[in-house]
Amino acid sequence: MTKKKTKDTAALLKKKITELTADDFAQLEKPLGTSSRPFPMWGPQRIEHGGRSDIETVLSFIASDSNPLMIFSERAYEEVVALAYCDMPVPSMLPIFKDGLERRADPLVRQKDIIEGRQPQNENFNRTQMMIGDPGHGKSFLGALHGRLRAKGSVEIFDCGGKNMNDLLFEMVLDFGAGDALPKAIDKRLKAGALEEISVGLLKALPSKAVTVDADGDVKSIDWTYLKNAGAEEVQAAFETLKKVSTVEGLDNAGGNALGMNSQFGPLIRAYQENREIVLDEYNKSREGSDNALQTVIQFMIGEIRETTVDNPLKNKDNTSGPSSFTFKREDMGAGFFVTFTGNKTEDGLTTRSLNKSVYDRLKPDTLPDPDVIDWQHRICQMMVGLPVSTLYTTFKDEADKDPEAFGEWLMWLRKTKAEVEGSPVPELQETLLTNWQNVVQASEKLALFYDRWAGMTDAEKITYNGNAELIEEVDEEYAKKEGMSFRRIKQHLEEAIPIRSRMEPVDSPVKLDMKSWSKSPKLAEKVEENPSLHFGSRLVEYIERMTYEKSGSVGKNKLYNKLQKAMEEYGLRDISLQEGARSRQKSVEESLNISAFSDRDLGKQAILARKIFCDFVRQMDPEIKAEDDQIVTSKKFLDALQYVSTKETAPTNELFVANRDPESLYAGNPLVAAIIKDAAVYAAADKELDFSLADLVHHDDLIASFALPTVGAKNLSSVWDQNIRPMTRGDAKPVANDDGNADATAPANQNTANNPMDHDEAMYISENRSSHGIATTSVQVLYTDEDGERPVSVHIVRNEQRGKTLVVSEKAPSKLLAAFREAGVIHVDRKDPMAKTKIETALTDLTRGMPATIKDRLTDAFKYRNDEDAEHLRGKNPQLADLMVDPDVDMLYAKFVVKNNKRANGPK
Amino acid sequence: MMQINRQENDMPTETLKEVGAAVAQQKAMERGVRFLPHGSRLFSVATGWESTMIRQDKGVVSCDTLLTLEEAMQDEDARVIFIPMDALMTDDDIEKVCQRNGIVKTLFKEVTE
Repeated sequence: MTKKKTKDTAALLKKKITELTADDFAQLEKPLGTSSRPFPMWGPQRIEHGGRSDIETVLSFIASDSNPLMIFSERAYEEVVALAYCDMPVPSMLPIFKDGLERRADPLVRQKDIIEGRQPQNENFNRTQMMIGDPGHGKSFLGALHGRLRAKGSVEIFDCGGKNMNDLLFEMVLDFGAGDALPKAIDKRLKAGALEEISVGLLKALPSKAVTVDADGDVKSIDWTYLKNAGAEEVQAAFETLKKVSTVEGLDNAGGNALGMNSQFGPLIRAYQENREIVLDEYNKSREGSDNALQTVIQFMIGEIRETTVDNPLKNKDNTSGPSSFTFKREDMGAGFFVTFTGNKTEDGLTTRSLNKSVYDRLKPDTLPDPDVIDWQHRICQMMVGLPVSTLYTTFKDEADKDPEAFGEWLMWLRKTKAEVEGSPVPELQETLLTNWQNVVQASEKLALFYDRWAGMTDAEKITYNGNAELIEEVDEEYAKKEGMSFRRIKQHLEEAIPIRSRMEPVDSPVKLDMKSWSKSPKLAEKVEENPSLHFGSRLVEYIERMTYEKSGSVGKNKLYNKLQKAMEEYGLRDISLQEGARSRQKSVEESLNISAFSDRDLGKQAILARKIFCDFVRQMDPEIKAEDDQIVTSKKFLDALQYVSTKETAPTNELFVANRDPESLYAGNPLVAAIIKDAAVYAAADKELDFSLADLVHHDDLIASFALPTVGAKNLSSVWDQNIRPMTRGDAKPVANDDGNADATAPANQNTANNPMDHDEAMYISENRSSHGIATTSVQVLYTDEDGERPVSVHIVRNEQRGKTLVVSEKAPSKLLAAFREAGVIHVDRKDPMAKTKIETALTDLTRGMPATIKDRLTDAFKYRNDEDAEHLRGKNPQLADLMVDPDVDMLYAKFVVKNNKRANGPK
Repeated sequence: MMQINRQENDMPTETLKEVGAAVAQQKAMERGVRFLPHGSRLFSVATGWESTMIRQDKGVVSCDTLLTLEEAMQDEDARVIFIPMDALMTDDDIEKVCQRNGIVKTLFKEVTE
């Protein structure tokens, strides 16, 4: 992002409103919701339904060049829009957000009218907004957001809970002297473990909110900022304690370690003086009857009176010094000053109190509605990707559907601009998810519906009439308070899903237990780094499943557990395996959020990934090569190669592209080389000898590497399937493949299939990758070299086309390919691995999950079309598919050889 | 056999440091996040080269007490905050400080793997 040059606006909001000039306004005004840049808005509208009209609450937008929303901000325009769109309040709070913008703007607009010689449009001098809602709804966030949109500095959030509200005007504080010398000295000794025992004991007696004690009872930290302004009584007590600590530690004699008490202007007066925003959080949890002195100040702040003077009741109390009074005057009102009051609903515990009628009358609080599905979805998206994709998509659906790529780029611009404001990069997981924004929209909708249902089930107040009456015995008010669904719980679920942790295997997975040599540490396979988005969906859904159980079933709330499970199923959280042929086109949450880095549609990004995998592979294969990636092959050349591959229609001709390690052509910029499958069966049918030798075969590692490359792997996995058995069996059609570029066009496979017994052979369809179950298997042969010399070896492939997952069983694969295999959805099994059979069985169970039980038998039948299970050592043993795949002595009946296709030019140019 | 020799790496040290810090930040972000009030985020960074790269990155402010954290929260220019392993604060302390300062910061806390 390039920063545009803007004038220094940093001090403009510090000016008095009456002193703002036309030039100041030109710099401060940042419109939101213009004709070309509409801003989402939620509210009631009259909607026509077949001649009738009803009032409905809808998500629409503001898009007016004449009357947009106006933010008077010191920030650059791009920062304001990035923050406004990314940190946008949930839809049901948007009207309150709009109201907040207007309240902040009105006195400034009035001043601008005066400067421009117009009759002022408003006489609104209100500098307050009050919101009441459930805890965790985002009230203080909204107040602070307004402040952040307008200025770069921190917005003070003053926690009113249990405090005397008159302290907002004048407060008793601990005076630590210049540079907070005493706290710093105590912190230094605490860190070094050099505090006297008696001092530690004294510090523990400070107000509990100011001291954190660890599990061993040691003082971990002291919150000096809290302590300093903790309220008159706490300050008095802390003063006595710290005086003793200071004496014990010998700090009372050191210069600068002065400790005193003083009265000073409270947070509200300071905010007014400094022309900045302040949020008075949980105002109705403040001490009852403590806000008498505040009443005239509130009258002043809402614009009811022009001026008010408040006296300092602490002046001269206990010999403290400090100001004697303060006068608020409308003409002194600064452009940046604003007060947001937040309050919890009175149902929220005993400490929440009902305010005086006069306060309600004056502050006219907005009560936040309970979150709707659209709100849950909005917040889920914000936590997952850093901006509310769902709300933006719903608002601009037509435009987004028309050009999803441009919409995605716009989302990414917003997110990256926000990251720039915050000074840190966009996390890789968020970037991958945002690149696949459609998946995020789809998954977040299902999650929102599920959480909304969960919230309904755990809302003790509404349970009798929201369709969950049968839960009345299990969900009481206490449970609702403790375990009710809220934005905070969703946050916790998402936090838990981000790190990659150990996973529990499916219960039907085969397990191998090595019961020998447990006294030694196990020999671990090489660690394979995993892209955080690859199984993000699985981690999230697994955690939600765990929580539904822990919060219901495990504490005896079985009805609730059953209902939650049903809701999970109904809203498609899990990758549900449906019965044959009925697989839903709708992705589950799990599937939508399990995103491979390979799924990026941008070929340029795929080329970057592919080049890295390829170069790591080349260096591993030949450790003498020390060259950097760019020296092996440039990104541009790799992009060219991928573009060539992506445009080729290779499936009908069984053509492949494999990794090229021939130095001459690789150095000339060709990382891939063409190959073709030559079917020995076709030669046998034509009574011809093979016209290629062992040296013409593609090397095992080069074929395997191709499966690990984005675009190339997918292309190859569409080109390996059988096309010859059916026509050869029928005898009336020409077999395909074996065309290395010289022959005429080949006959299409599977034409005129009427009355052929093969048409009813599921195994045949499986070998051709045409099974309605989406499962396929085949085998090819490639060159392999090891201590036993050069020879052809089999590579067995099983693929689930619908889930994009593939099992490849062959020789040991270079370790540098393992991480890429995961991205490509390839499970590679080295047939010599002692765990090979178990790994294959696990993979087959996963690949065939949800399919009829007989499908494994049909897979074995399909395998036998090309592999000889009648070998002497297998006779009478009834081997399973996994046994056959790991067995190096199972020969191919008529091998499908992967041969270098020299006549088809040397891969992409 | 392809014989391509490594070329002299002429990337300036400053750029290398920036790249190192960016890689270290991404690695920390993969380790998981704690969402803090007002949109701030707390990431864990492994002690060693990753924490060193972040700590030394220009513009990153290191805070080892709640006093210094409070100062950093109120400093417009301190957008990224590093919290060393021996800092006098718990995660809950950090959350409390973020709650009373309505601003978005990115925090990296040093941890042992």
